[in-house]
This record gives sequence, structure tokens and C-alpha cells, in this order.
Amino acid sequence: MRLATILSSAAHWSRAVLAVGAVSLLSACDYNFWRMDGHQSTIKVEGPVAKSQLDVFYVTCWVTLVIFILVGAVLAYASIKFKARTPEEEKAIPPEQGHGNPLIEIGLIGASVLALVIIAIPTLKGIWYTYDVPEDRKADTYEVTATGYQWWFKFDYPSEQIAGAGALTTANELVIPAGRPVRVNLRTIDVIHSFWIPKLAGKVDMIPNRANHLWFQADQPGYYWGQCAEFCGDSHAVMRFRVIALGPKDFNDWLSQQTSPARDVAPPRIAANNAPKAQFASLRTFKPNETGHTAKYDTSPLDAWKAHQFPEKGENQALIAQGKALFKEKACLSCHEVQGHGYAGISGPTLTHFGSRSTLAGALLENNTEQLHRWIHNPESVKPGNKMAKGYIDNNIKLTNEDEVALVAYLQSLK
Amino acid sequence: MDAILKSDLQVKDVATETKSAVFWRPTAQTGLISWLTTVDHKKIGFLYGIFALFFFLVGGFEALLIRLQLMTPNGTVLTAQQYNTMFTMHGTTMIFLAVMPLSAAFFNFIMPLQIGARDVAFPRLNAFSLWTFVAGAIILNLGWFMSAGAPDAGWTGYAPLTSKTYTPDHSVDMWIMGLQLLGVASIAASLNFIVTIINMRAPGMTMMRLPVFTWMTLITAFLIVLSFPFITVALVEIMMDRLFGTSFFEVSGGGMPILWQHLFWVFGHPEVYILILPAMGIISEILPTFSRKPLFGYPIVVFSGASIGFLGFSVWSHHMFTTGMGTVATAAFSLATMAIAVPTGVKIFNWIGTLWGGHISMRTPMMFALGFVWMFMVGGFSGVMHSAAPADAQQQDSYFVIAHFHYVLIGGSMFALLAGIHFWFPLMFGRKIGEFWGKLSFWVIFAGFNITFFPMHFLGLNGMPRRTFTYDGNLGWNSANYIATVGALILGVGIFIYFAVMVYTYFKGEKVGKDVWDARTLEWSLPNPPPEYNYRVIPTVHARDAFWYMKQNKEQIAKEDAAHAKEEAAHGGIHMPHQSIYPFVASLGMLIAGIGISVIDNDPTPGFWGKKIGVTMIGGVVMLAGIYFWALEGNGGYHLHPENEGDESNGKKPAKH
Repeated sequence: MRLATILSSAAHWSRAVLAVGAVSLLSACDYNFWRMDGHQSTIKVEGPVAKSQLDVFYVTCWVTLVIFILVGAVLAYASIKFKARTPEEEKAIPPEQGHGNPLIEIGLIGASVLALVIIAIPTLKGIWYTYDVPEDRKADTYEVTATGYQWWFKFDYPSEQIAGAGALTTANELVIPAGRPVRVNLRTIDVIHSFWIPKLAGKVDMIPNRANHLWFQADQPGYYWGQCAEFCGDSHAVMRFRVIALGPKDFNDWLSQQTSPARDVAPPRIAANNAPKAQFASLRTFKPNETGHTAKYDTSPLDAWKAHQFPEKGENQALIAQGKALFKEKACLSCHEVQGHGYAGISGPTLTHFGSRSTLAGALLENNTEQLHRWIHNPESVKPGNKMAKGYIDNNIKLTNEDEVALVAYLQSLK
Repeated sequence: MDAILKSDLQVKDVATETKSAVFWRPTAQTGLISWLTTVDHKKIGFLYGIFALFFFLVGGFEALLIRLQLMTPNGTVLTAQQYNTMFTMHGTTMIFLAVMPLSAAFFNFIMPLQIGARDVAFPRLNAFSLWTFVAGAIILNLGWFMSAGAPDAGWTGYAPLTSKTYTPDHSVDMWIMGLQLLGVASIAASLNFIVTIINMRAPGMTMMRLPVFTWMTLITAFLIVLSFPFITVALVEIMMDRLFGTSFFEVSGGGMPILWQHLFWVFGHPEVYILILPAMGIISEILPTFSRKPLFGYPIVVFSGASIGFLGFSVWSHHMFTTGMGTVATAAFSLATMAIAVPTGVKIFNWIGTLWGGHISMRTPMMFALGFVWMFMVGGFSGVMHSAAPADAQQQDSYFVIAHFHYVLIGGSMFALLAGIHFWFPLMFGRKIGEFWGKLSFWVIFAGFNITFFPMHFLGLNGMPRRTFTYDGNLGWNSANYIATVGALILGVGIFIYFAVMVYTYFKGEKVGKDVWDARTLEWSLPNPPPEYNYRVIPTVHARDAFWYMKQNKEQIAKEDAAHAKEEAAHGGIHMPHQSIYPFVASLGMLIAGIGISVIDNDPTPGFWGKKIGVTMIGGVVMLAGIYFWALEGNGGYHLHPENEGDESNGKKPAKH
């Protein structure tokens, strides 16, 4: 009687729990996680290196799945078939006290070894293929150097020299030629990072005192998500980057733009003492961790990136000039460089063509007015522990809203 | 030879008598002092278990906070630093303060009983191991109460993130010091277990008659003794870097950060087997008991355990496939890792062979044990996927790895330990956990566990890196993360039921007699709870599954016991070791010194007697005092003369002199 009551109330409660569970699950609207088709999918890949890694994964997957089904079926059968169903069966005379069967053991060991050989062969092939660019493609290889910083990536193009300024340097967005093998030298300036573009290649670590490299190829022009994959301190989670693969013409256009000095917007001729300062006063504030991108940007990121290559209409020249002056006044130049404007800081990301990037703050935020203001206004809330926030405190830098608005305008003009 | 040994013993006995005025030998049987001074392996095992379960709950709470933070994209439950602290402490706590000591609890409580011994070889060293473990646990967790915060550099503590440059506060110092003390505790305990198993087996208990759990204890102990020195070296080096400005890992001084990874994983991979082999041992006891059949292929199960232990030392670099080791090294470690799947698979085949043709009683321990086999298979197969280095380049440091090792560590180690608690609870406390609530907790835990961790395979393949406090909502990770968090809450409910039932059973559960499961190994021949001297008469072993044999041949055993009882009485009865406070004092000294080294700031004013050095020296003096008094007080001991088994059930104390 009591047990029955308990059971029925347990059933009642479990129904309630199930209902609550179902409702709470419904609210997580996308059920598509098994499709694994996100921006960082290792299943929907777009280059030969990631493809070869995926092929090895599928081999391991199928072999283990077959073994799992076979062994699992025997295990399930044995658990059901030999289960004692009544107290009498439990107390029955014990079964034969056998200690094993060597033939079965040896047979199963042999079968396991065979299964592993099936996995081992493509594994070995894959190890050699993914390690470096194949010999016949070496001549066509494009080489860049990626350097990890806490918490952003710097990219150097040793084959693109700028007169008087060394190799072309960018940050956070790696632009590469599509259809050509790219060999990336991996370096770090501080702790260990790991360079990972899931759709193009598995990760390789950036380790101090160690010259690592990886290679990959983007078969088609596209826009790819990358992320640091080795824990590297407070803001590891938001140390991201993008890879933009371009066709030959687009890539050459991009190179010629990047190798020229920063764009200079001429100050207005008339004294602009009525510059529209209040224009951005209502820029919204953000919560920590709040999403940094718009849905529009997400649907066609490559187009969004391309749109960034051209100056915006209706730029406020007075504001830009003011921002340019503030860049020096507020000591931004001690860490950041803007080639052609006489700013040559080296410890932070280069800003020479900042306006042409689709993202900012280590590819965490979309590069638009609102987000750039959010970053300059309070870097610590965007990227905890970062050096810019520390720099504000150490150098006693205080920005008024007007300062921030002017700096945003200036930085966005740097195409 | 005999004569020398004998005379030596007599001298010691006399010495104890005279010294007792100088050295305090506590005799308290109840109260705090009895626990602090106990040398009884069962009490020490019980304490290990209590501490381990406490930290298991702490680590679980940390895990729940992690899951709540990741429930939705851009979560704000924790800050970045808090999140990093949580996953660091979750990993460190679960490995070093929950699973390892819980295994140690079983080693302590069960292993001596299984081999027919009256205690471990070095009872006071055993107490020292326990209290040093507690000291390490305290130092690891001190950060929660300090401004520096608890450690937040990951449980792997990769250099140079742990260097003074990148983590200037004391959090990492506490992590380093805590782990070193835990290493001391583990090595001391393991030496003790090795000596115990090799020297203190009952007559007839040959190595190939050892219960499999004892075999796995032995292998695990060897793994600990051989692997902990590596991490100790690494920890001492990083401590030198941080305290004295050496350059083992300091890049600016020419140090090699990659060295840390090698040292860490040469320890770290055997550590994985340190966590899983005891679990396999427990499973290898439970499955035969509830199938009422001997373990299928006992020699092969033992041998595969040993070969897992050996191979475990040759695969460490599979944790480093992405560090650019080059093709040949990667290929070698890849193949070695695949090879380890063979002995592991063999164990699974043999467990299934054990079930085959048996009379399976589906009791709660058996449910957990079968759950273990299933979940461990899943974890094992994703492990094989990692062994293929090219595939691993995508999986390394992603949620796929998280899924894999939680299947091995929760579905594997934890399920087996939870099964072991259910299995040996009647022996330890004389009460049995109710089947309904036991099975309910199993199913809730089983469901919650799978709902939490199965989606993580998909998350990892979809590119979600581990150790990230936030993620954007546009990467297709939302639903899997949400489901995982719901699963974690279900898992939490299951664990709560499990613990609530256990506490209830401890006080009010159904009382049961001896050998409640009709079991097979020696420990079940004891009354429950076992008396402090374990065996009134040291049993003689005639077969594997010794107790099963005894039950089949009662008359022969009764005769032998009677003969042996007379012999022992002639030797002066059952020899019991004295309690001692000095192991505790030595550990206390290590705690104080550890706090001095890791927590107290360097005194800015120059001079020898700064606060840091002062506290450290005091700790050192206390430790040395403990060790010296421990050595000088002598073995001691006394004799017991239990009249017969009936005495114990009447609650009378056995005669003592």
C-alpha cells in the first residue's frame, strides 16, 4: 500500500519533471546541433587539410561504431538473457564456475589489432600529408607569419615589403589568396596560444622558443572563423580571428591597398567649430559579454568585409581631424601604429588600415560605430585583463564621450 | 635468522614499556583524538572517503556553475576570471581531491581485508599519507578565502602562463604547493600498499590468487610511485622559477616552456590510468559476484591491467599532438596510443564473458557496474578517435575532448566508485542501501550524465574550444550547450539522491548480516563492520575467489582455523599497533611550511627572519619534530585475545593486555 502510494506519487512527479524539462528544452529553439554546420565546423570543411583530417575521423568513427554495435549487442544480450528474474532464480544453484577460454581471448585480441590497423594506415598517411605543403605545391605556396599575443593575433606578410617600413603587417584578420597553399609560421610573444581555423585545418600551437608551422588551403574565396585553442589566460575565450580568402584579383587589390600608407582625410577648410558633437551622444552601453555582431553581418560576412574596404559616405572631416589629434594626445600612439600618420607604437595591433577590417578587439566585435565605441569606452568589460584597459589606468587616460566619438570616427576612416 | 628476529622483537617490546612515560601513546577510541591518532586502515580509509566525497560535492558545485555560465551564449553568471578559476579548480579537485582519494579509500579499507591482512605494512605512514593529503587539499583551496583567488591557470598549469610574469599573484603558488603535498601523500601511501600486497598476504594467497581489485591497487601504486616524481620535478622547477627567479620555463632566461608539457604529461597520462585502474578493479569484483561466476579470463584481465600500466608510460605525447612534434614522433605516439586500446578492449570482452552464462542479480551495484561498462566503451571509442593524430588536430582542446574524458572519468571512474560504495557499504557499516532508491539514483545519474556529455561530442566537432567562458550565439552551439546544462542539473539531482540515500542508510538503513551478496573474496568472510583486528584467525587461502571456496568447503576451513587459532594464541595473541599523533604532527608541519612558501608575501624589508621565512621554518621544525618523535617512539603495539566470534556481536571488548 505504502509502496504503491510512493510509486504513484513518484510517477506523478516524474511526469511533472518531464513536462518542465520539455518546455525548457523547447525554448532552446535550434535543434540542429547534430548537423554540425556552424562557422567553426570540422565536419563541413572547405580545404584539403581539414578534408584529410575529416577523412581520418570518419574512418575512426565507422570502425569504432561497428565494434560498438557488435560488442554492445553481445553485452545487451548477455545482460538480458542471463538476468535472474525471480528471487528463486537468484538463489538457484550457481552456474558452472568456468574461468575463461583462451581461444576466444586470442581471437578477440587478433580482431582488435586488425581493427586498429584499419585506423592506423590512413592515420599515418594523414600525419605526413597534413604536416607540410606537398612537394609539387611548394612553388605555389604563399607564406605568412602569425604571432599570438594575449589576446589577439598579428599577421606578417614577409613577401610584401613596404619601402621603409618592413613587411606588411595586419592584425586579427588574415587575408589569403584562395586556391593556393598557405604556410603559416606560428610564433608567440608571451604564453602558449593555438592557431585554429576549423574549416580549413586542425590546430597547431604557438609555443615560446619553438618554430611551429601549419599549412592549409581555402579552395574557394570565403570568410572563415578562427579561434585560439589553448588556454592563454583571462580572455582566452575571446581571442579570435578571421581568415578571408580572396580570388587573385581581389587579393592583389587588397595587397596594394594595404601596402600603401593610411588614408588621410583632409581637414575641412572652414573652421568647424560647430562640428556635430552631439550626434553620437546616445550610443548605447553594453552589458559584459553581450553579442558583438549583427545578424546582417552574419548572413553574408564576406560581403560585409568587402563593404569595409571603401570609405563610408558622409564622413565628418572635422571629427576625424579631432580624432587624429587625440590619438597622439591620449597616448594611443605609444602602443598602436598608423603608418603615414607618424604613429609608430608596436606593442598593440597595427591600426594603419583598421577601417578596412570587418572586426575589432581580436575579432570579437563587428567593426561598426557602436561596437568600436563600446571597445574604446570600456575595454575591460569587453576583454577582461587586456593591456589597453591597463594602459588607460597606468597612463591615467580619461576619455570624454566627445573624445571617444572623435576617435571612433578617425579609426573608421583608416581604410 | 629466526632467533635474531625474535630477540629483536623482544628488545623493542621492552623499549616501548620504558618509553611510554616519555612518549605519549594515545589510546582514545572515540572522539577527535581517536580520529587524529588512528592507525587503523579501516578508519583511515573511511576518512579518505569522507574527504573525497566532500570534495566531490565541491567539484560538482563548481561544474554546475560552469554549466550555468554556458547555458546560453554570452552568459553572465560568472566573470572571465571566476570562470577560469572554476574550471581550474573543478579539474584539480575532481582528479586529486575526489577520484584519487576515493580510490585510496577503497585501497585502504578493502585491500588489506582482501589479502587477509590485519593492517597495512606501515600503519603510521598510512596516517601520515592521509593527513598530508588533507594538508595539500587545504592549501589548494585556501585561495577561495584570499584576495589572490583560487588557482586559475588550468589543471594542466602550462608554462609560461603559470610564470610570475603572467600570473603574479599567489594563486598559482598555492596550486604548486598543494599538488606537491598531494604527491608526497600519494607516493607514501603507494609504497605502503606495494609493501603490504607483496609481504602481508595470508598463507596460500599467491599473486595469481589475488583478487583483481588488489591487483589493480598494486599496479596503480606502482604507477603512482613511478609517475609522481615527474610532476614533482616539474612543480619544483616552476616553484624555483617563481620564488628564486630561475629559468626552467622562463623564456627570457632561455627556458623551455615545452619542457613543462613533457614533464606534466609523463605524469599526466599514467595519472589517467591511476584514475581508471582502481575502477576496473572494482568492476572486476562486482561483475563476478552478481553473475555468481568467477571472472572470465582472470590471468588476462590481470595481465592487461599491467600492460595498460606499462603502455601508459609510452603515450604521454598524444596530449601534445598539436605542439608540432614532427611527423615521426607524432606517428610513434599515435600508434602506441592505438596499441593501448587492445588491453583495454580485452577487459571489456572479459567482463562480458563473465556475464555470459551467469545468474545475473540486477542489484544497484551491478547496475552501476554495467553502466560503467557501457559508458567506458563510449569513452574508449572516442579515445581511439583521438589516437588518430590528424583527427585529433581538430579535436584537441575542443569539447569533443571534454566529452571523451568525462565519459572515461564519470562514466568510468565515478560510476565504478559509486558502484563500489554500494557494494561494500554493507561490509563497512552493516547496513544496506534500499534497492528502489539506489536504482532510482542510478537511472537519474545515468540519464543526467548522458544528457550532459553526449551533446558535447557534437559541440567539439562543431568547433567549440574548451576553457572558454563565453561564446557567440551564431556558431550553432546554443542548443547543445543548453541541453548539456539541463543534463548537468539532472545529474546534480541524481547525485543528491545518491548522497541523501547514503546518509539515510548510514543511520537508519536496513541492517544486514555477514556476506549479504553471496560474494567471493575474503573480506566478505568478516562480520560487519569488521573488528579492528580484521581476522580473528588469519585465513588460509586455497583458491582464487577464496571466500567462495571457503563456503564450499566449510569443514576443512573450520579445522584449519581452529589449528591456526591455537598457534596464534601461543604466540601471544593478535598483535595490534599503537595509535600515534606524530604522523599528524608531521603533516601539520608540512601544512604550515606549505602556507609559508605559497601564501605569505615576501617580506619587502631585507633580513633573514622575514614573515615568510619565519613561518616556513616553524613549519619545518614542526615537521621534523613529528618525524623524529615518530621514529623514536618506536613501533609499540599490544596484543588482543578475542575469545570467539560471539564476543563481538555481544558488544563486549575483546580482552586486552
